Amino acid sequence: MGRRDDASGFLPLHPMEFRILLALLDGPSYGTAIVEEIEAREGPGARLYPANVFRRMRDLIAKGLLEPCTGPEGADPRRGYLRLSRSGRAVARAEARRMQGLVEEATTRRLLPGG
Amino acid sequence: MGRPATWYRRLLGLLPRDLLDRFGRDLEELHEGRLARAVGPAGRLRVWMDAVIDVFACAVREGAARVLGAGKGRGGMGRTMHDLEEAFRAIRAAPLFTLAAILTLGLGIGAASATFAVVHAVILKDLPYREPERLVMVWPEQNYNVSMVAMTHDAVPALEGISGISMWTLTLTGEREPRELTAAFVSPSHFELLGVRPALGRDFLPDEAVDGAGGVAVLSHDAWVGIFGADPDILGRVVHLAGSNHTERQIVGVMPAGFRPLREDPDLWAPLEGPASPDIATDRTWYVNWRVGRLAPGASIETAQEQLRAFAGSARERAPQIIDEEDVRTASVRPLGAYVAGALTPTLWVALGAVVLVLLIACANVANLLLARGEARGRDLAVRVALGAKRANVVRMLMAESGAIGLLGGAMGVAMSFGLVRLVVSRAPADFPRLDEVGVSWTVLLFALVATLVSTLLAGLAPALRGSRVDATHSLARASRSGSGHARTRLTGALVAGQVALASVVAVGSGLMLRSLQQLLAVDPGMDGTGVLTFRADPGEGRYGGPGAYDAFYGQLVERLRALPGVTSVGAIHILPGTTSNWSFPTFPEGVSHPEGTAIPSTNFRAVRPGYFQTVRIPLLEGRTLTDADRVGDQRVLVVNRAFAERWWPEGEAVGKTVRVFSADATPYRVVGVVGDVRQHARDREPLPELYYPQSQWDLFAVGQYLLVRFGDGSDPLAHAAQARDVVWGLDADVPVTEVRSLESVLDSSTRTLRFLTMLLAAFGSIAVLLGAIGVFGVTAYTVGRRVPEFGLRVALGSTRGALVGVAVARAVAPVVGGLAAGLGSALMLSRLLTATLYGVEPSDPFTFAAVAALLAVVGGVAAFLPAWRAGRVDPVSVLNRE
Repeated sequence: MGRRDDASGFLPLHPMEFRILLALLDGPSYGTAIVEEIEAREGPGARLYPANVFRRMRDLIAKGLLEPCTGPEGADPRRGYLRLSRSGRAVARAEARRMQGLVEEATTRRLLPGG
Repeated sequence: MGRPATWYRRLLGLLPRDLLDRFGRDLEELHEGRLARAVGPAGRLRVWMDAVIDVFACAVREGAARVLGAGKGRGGMGRTMHDLEEAFRAIRAAPLFTLAAILTLGLGIGAASATFAVVHAVILKDLPYREPERLVMVWPEQNYNVSMVAMTHDAVPALEGISGISMWTLTLTGEREPRELTAAFVSPSHFELLGVRPALGRDFLPDEAVDGAGGVAVLSHDAWVGIFGADPDILGRVVHLAGSNHTERQIVGVMPAGFRPLREDPDLWAPLEGPASPDIATDRTWYVNWRVGRLAPGASIETAQEQLRAFAGSARERAPQIIDEEDVRTASVRPLGAYVAGALTPTLWVALGAVVLVLLIACANVANLLLARGEARGRDLAVRVALGAKRANVVRMLMAESGAIGLLGGAMGVAMSFGLVRLVVSRAPADFPRLDEVGVSWTVLLFALVATLVSTLLAGLAPALRGSRVDATHSLARASRSGSGHARTRLTGALVAGQVALASVVAVGSGLMLRSLQQLLAVDPGMDGTGVLTFRADPGEGRYGGPGAYDAFYGQLVERLRALPGVTSVGAIHILPGTTSNWSFPTFPEGVSHPEGTAIPSTNFRAVRPGYFQTVRIPLLEGRTLTDADRVGDQRVLVVNRAFAERWWPEGEAVGKTVRVFSADATPYRVVGVVGDVRQHARDREPLPELYYPQSQWDLFAVGQYLLVRFGDGSDPLAHAAQARDVVWGLDADVPVTEVRSLESVLDSSTRTLRFLTMLLAAFGSIAVLLGAIGVFGVTAYTVGRRVPEFGLRVALGSTRGALVGVAVARAVAPVVGGLAAGLGSALMLSRLLTATLYGVEPSDPFTFAAVAALLAVVGGVAAFLPAWRAGRVDPVSVLNRE
């Protein structure tokens, strides 16, 4: 319970922050790759404003949700790799639960089919 | 790539250090990747716009978080709002200053946004079709037949599809009054190629493109609603549509309301029919004016062009009399978007550049206003500093004030841009490309927002920094002659010089365009259109059956029109001058041999009725004009223009020579007269050789005519339009009367777009000069005001008033002269960008430069002199008493 309470202090996340956390679920990555991954998931033609994305990444680091790490074998050592911290993963999960709750409510109120 | 990278790095300098340290490399990498993937200059511009917005937005948020968020207990946002509220209160206390600043900024932002709206719609915005970047124009200069379209498709695998387009006029009868409809004949794959589907029914089937099979049509939404009353049972209906190889067509589809056709607005589409097995040499359908193609996935324009060149070479072998070496060399594939924007592109960029300069002048004016206001508030600021306010806080307060002014100016600019866009659209000529897409879109609003942010920063930053540098003790001691005052004078002097320089650049640009337009309008079109009414009346071949009946119809019509009161003469021609339509046939003048393998020259060909030359006042130079006595069966006769006579028979003696048309063994036509040249297509194009043929001897097929009626009483020819229509309908009530215009407006149509853009630039030039003058006036008034004590002292010491005015004017004029020199120098370099747009004027035209120099010198001088006059009226006693 304690951990969930820690995480809820960060909620709701800004959609872009949530996107960033999701992009790092599969393992460490670096700035350019994260932006391109999010753009690819948004669909063709999507173009993020990278400086603003990086601003949020820096803030996520400051909040302790992301942490710098070393890259995989053979990666360019000059690249600053980032990964999810334990609390980052917890916050992402809490945000996903929060959204799931909203979706369930929308379904029982018949906004979405299936209720 | 070196320079863009440097620019981007400079832009990144706006961001805080910690962000750059961690992500600077990623930002550069992403930006370079986007630039490399961008298509064309428009794509690169979009990448740069995104980058600027991204960095600015980030910098503003960072700045807000740092400067404003520092206050404890209040969120950054709340603090900003508080600052803005205070700023609004402060500027409301100085309404005159505020109004001047807002008007100036609003005018600049509004004009810039409206111009950007035009540039965006015409050049930057994607065409409204599926994957528009893959659409191309195929060999635009070449005349095609239907076979060539099919063969191009086979020979150029880099094209996934290709559609020919041919514009026709068809006559619709049997639906209330008869009317002429604009029809686009297209290949069956046309709509699929563009990626649009009919809203009702279907588009064309491949086998409907075979000769005689395609008796079908697809209606435009407007035609469906306007002509057929949105009939829900329209599909399958057969309508009478004469004017092509079918007299009846079945409606099989209706296009959606939002569909924007290429170029012209057709009422309907019909399949382009050609022989079942394509053959360039024997196919007579040489009327396929345009070809639009779609690049295959992954194929480049360059590949398509190479394949087209190869095809052009083989096409020349099959039809050497039609396709010559020059045609093969010009075989090209061009992006459709660039082709649609066409020749307007450079002028539109120039207009956008000019209006951005106007915006900069406006910023300089507002900066000067803010500086003056800062000076006036020196005491207030000094009190704040004395009470312990930090420099950063004073900067923030002053920036908030210019921010508030910027917000209001931007809001006014956006409001103005709606009106200006509407004005531009209503004044633009109808053939202006993509005019219906010009509007204040989200992108335009975004542009306005960026323009507002940038101009607020430009106008507000220097005054804020300067204002915060108040020295508490000095200001409180009211030492207005302190060092900071001199620094301010230097700053305002630089601003004035900059304004004058920018104004002279814009003025030179618009001056050159005006001179070019003047040269163009001074060109003699070769005929006189004043007082001439023109309209088209085509009885329809289906009903009249053949050239003989046509000739009889027009003969009677001309007689009856001539009997109208006030009419001095009546003529007719089958293609009006001043338009882009053309008939051109291979010609064999007597005594001229065409060596084997060279292309046969083609000559413009016009069927006319006898009164034509007299009605439009084309002078007869030699021999006789055509008469009613030239009939079928008599010796075939022709009138040639001077260009034709001089090209083929430079020795003179054109009259009496013969010309064969189409082939070397055709029946010869005898030349009976030579008439003056006419600029058939546009004023800036040299007259082409031309043949005039009497309609009374034309027996190949029926040709509809434009009637020309000259009224000798000086009245507006359009006032007689109803009378003329009644004459036609008195003869045959089923003949549509269309394109009723004055000949003058037809002849002017080729210069209308240029005239419109020139007027736009001239408006920008005037605003630039006016804003520059306001700047000079304001600064001189300020300087003179500051030096009143000094002038008082000088008068007391024996200076004459005239000398004082001289001193004041000289002070004020110095930056004007400096700015003018810098501006004219820059204009000399920049005006080369106009080379392609100018007609009959050099970009370095000394007259224009001298005129602009004189204009700005006079305007600057007057603007400096008016306030300087005050210096001469200083009363030394009262001044010295006050001191």
